[in-house]
Amino acid sequence: MTGSAVADYLPAIYHTNLNNGLTVLGVEYDRAPWLSICFMAKRGAEADPPGKGGTADCTAEGLTLGTTTRDQLRLAIDVESRGARLEAHGNWDYSVVTLEGLAEDFGELMALLAEVVQSPNFPEQDFAFLKGRRQAELVHLQDNPREVANRWYYRLFFGNSPYGHPITGDLESISALTLEDLKSFYQRQFHPSESTLVVVGMVPEATVVHEADRFWSAWSGGARPAPPYQEAPPSLGQPGIYLLDRPALTQSEIRLGHLGLPRQHPDYFALRLANYILGGGGFSSRLMTRIRSDLGLTYGINSHFHFRRAPGPFVISTFTPASNTAAVIQETKVVLAELKQGGITAQELEDAKNFYIGHFPMGLESPGGIGQHLLQIDLHSLGFDYLHTYCDQMRTVQLEQVRTAAASHLHPEKLVVLVVGPAALCQSDLEALGPVNLVTES
Amino acid sequence: MEKMLKPEAWHPEIDIKQYRFDNGLTLLVLPEHGLPIVSFQVHYAVGSRNERPGITGISHLFEHMMFRGSKELGPEEFSQVIQAKGGEVNAFTTSDNTSYFENLPAAHLELAVRLEAERLVHLRLTQDNFATEREVVRSERKLRAVDSPLGLPLELLSAMAYTQHPYQWPILGWDYDLRNLTLEDCLDFHRTYYNPANLVAVVSGDVDSQQAQDLVAKYFGPIPSPGVPPPIRAQEPPQRGERRAIYKKVSQVEAFLAGFHVPGLKDPEIYAVLLLAAILGEGKASRGYQRFVRPGKAIDLEVHLPPPPFAYQDPGLLVIIGLAAPGQPLATLEEEVWDEIAQIQDQGVTPEELNRVKKMMRAQYVKVLANNFYRGVLAALLYLKTGEAGLVNRIPDLYDQVSPDDIQAAARRYLNEDNRTVVMLKPVSEAENAALGPVA
Repeated sequence: MTGSAVADYLPAIYHTNLNNGLTVLGVEYDRAPWLSICFMAKRGAEADPPGKGGTADCTAEGLTLGTTTRDQLRLAIDVESRGARLEAHGNWDYSVVTLEGLAEDFGELMALLAEVVQSPNFPEQDFAFLKGRRQAELVHLQDNPREVANRWYYRLFFGNSPYGHPITGDLESISALTLEDLKSFYQRQFHPSESTLVVVGMVPEATVVHEADRFWSAWSGGARPAPPYQEAPPSLGQPGIYLLDRPALTQSEIRLGHLGLPRQHPDYFALRLANYILGGGGFSSRLMTRIRSDLGLTYGINSHFHFRRAPGPFVISTFTPASNTAAVIQETKVVLAELKQGGITAQELEDAKNFYIGHFPMGLESPGGIGQHLLQIDLHSLGFDYLHTYCDQMRTVQLEQVRTAAASHLHPEKLVVLVVGPAALCQSDLEALGPVNLVTES
Repeated sequence: MEKMLKPEAWHPEIDIKQYRFDNGLTLLVLPEHGLPIVSFQVHYAVGSRNERPGITGISHLFEHMMFRGSKELGPEEFSQVIQAKGGEVNAFTTSDNTSYFENLPAAHLELAVRLEAERLVHLRLTQDNFATEREVVRSERKLRAVDSPLGLPLELLSAMAYTQHPYQWPILGWDYDLRNLTLEDCLDFHRTYYNPANLVAVVSGDVDSQQAQDLVAKYFGPIPSPGVPPPIRAQEPPQRGERRAIYKKVSQVEAFLAGFHVPGLKDPEIYAVLLLAAILGEGKASRGYQRFVRPGKAIDLEVHLPPPPFAYQDPGLLVIIGLAAPGQPLATLEEEVWDEIAQIQDQGVTPEELNRVKKMMRAQYVKVLANNFYRGVLAALLYLKTGEAGLVNRIPDLYDQVSPDDIQAAARRYLNEDNRTVVMLKPVSEAENAALGPVA
């Protein structure tokens, strides 16, 4: 069926609402007898209580530590003896619990996920283990320069606002976490009216709807959550250059960025296209062409708008041998300024559109990939026809819209720049670019 | 189109059409018409096992050079052209192969085939391109090995575990060799390994077999071949006693890394070893997670042995990495891990845990089959490493045939002290680190 029409392969999304308000979304999938069942509560790390960063993520993992009828080991055995995988984590704006496995086990997996979400036991001993493990992992993360840069970066410009702490928390916030915090988060944020169940697999719609009703309609959850966070933070970190000295490193990790946009912004498609041209398009991007291919200064550089319910960050990420640090920052700013000033060509836009449109079916190969689409469609109310309109929405973006979006939403003068690297090899060059603020890990 | 929604009726056998061209090229076609996309792949039978001291890392560096321009295209234009059609392009180098792929809309398959053939014949290797890309690769090495928490200790582990086989050096190569590689080395490498007789091409996805065959014949058929390069016959002799080393670096945690020589992909016993590795470290019901990670003795206990088709062609290493939790003595963790292995050697495993990991392997296999790209890689690398693409369809049975006794025997034969190499990661201060000299 080479060259088949879009309508021939696009999955039909079915949806229903249970009596308790839970939304059920699904797609019948027939490429392989695989199955992805995903529960989403529409609150995540942005709802972590102040000083308790990591609550949403730990609550999600807490659900996998045992139910009222199965302890952690029994649950793990019951999942894995079906060849399935149970994962749970917090994200910005939502928390997810996913069970993937073979379609032949649909009934058992559906029952298991319902039990995990609806009847967690939050056992004392396993909470103590979880907390200790999380703290140890955070200690280990300090040895990973990329992680250190990412975690520090968001704190730098979001400060104490909801997106300003790492999803997994930090040593201080995890130390402060109690079992009551997890139970309380679960009670406040997991409610059927603010949750969605997504099922993608080799299972007929009627079976999914029937079993969803059987296993999920009696769940009442806790209190209704407060309205979601969707405003821009009242204050942000100051633009400038920040340096975290790591003498033992040979390269610098570099992050440059500023506040971006929410997913619902009307410039979403235009800005994704502009960002593809800037640094989202791999070797087709200007940043990769200049910094890697022409100058050989890095193995990789990319830019990304993190579209969330509230305005997320726009970040350029790269790394370079330490002595190149200032040169990479300087060149990156030049590329960013050029794009803002309107140099986007019709050919660049055409190529970017063709990439997104041509690439679209590849996101539909696996149940997990389709499930991710459905989650985003539901979280951001994109409409159940979104998969059918996506390519047209991309195709109809005009050159002027992209130029305007780049000019309006890229701010080279407001960049917060973080370098994690050996100060002895890069600080004096950085000072030539402007004042350098030394940051230290507390 | 009505969907087939009965898992019990699903037939997992992959239909592989295999063709051999006069110039020695092998083509595998795996038709699948669910989505209008296709994966075109070219896998060369060359990796770091084909290198020698002085030119380590050249296979990987050469992978980079394949994107630096040809007669028709400028640097990185290959990627740009494919992306502009909605495709994605990438490549990977292992110890056994160097692979290039384009996943793209089926309507543009011919473009991918044409450009892959064009760069095979007309690659533009210039001193400028070479010098720029060498610095990029050195940056990649710093990222993946030098500044990564366990990168250099892992390199030391392989360097100690192998005394004769080329698996002893990293795929990225030694920095000293990277700095001294020349354009002439690359030209020589290209002449030896980049020819039709030394590659297997794959078309997987929305394509008819005849169409795929015609396209590959059109663009690759006329390319002459000097023949198959000389085989690598290096063999690692059996290890005769534990090898042990300390690696000092700035680190927040202590760790041990242990490597055990295990069979390569052609040896059916590898399936028992893979299941043994899963019993030790795969999933939250595994022995490693329950005994060490869950109660907080270890931050992580990883048991690495790549499954088919990524398993090593020649006998490889099963690697166990134990990261001690802060305040937990590393020596105790290590002893307890050996004790857990000794329990399997003495008492075997339960049918329940063996059945669990078998089902986990089968499930992962089914999951992979949903994806054109991975299906193609599975068939091609199995062909390249064992000579038999059809092995794809026998993998689930090979796992099923493993008995509890096989697991116990594998644990005794391979996970023993005489066959073990251990690197201890010892944290040092910044000052001690500086005094030890530069890393590369």
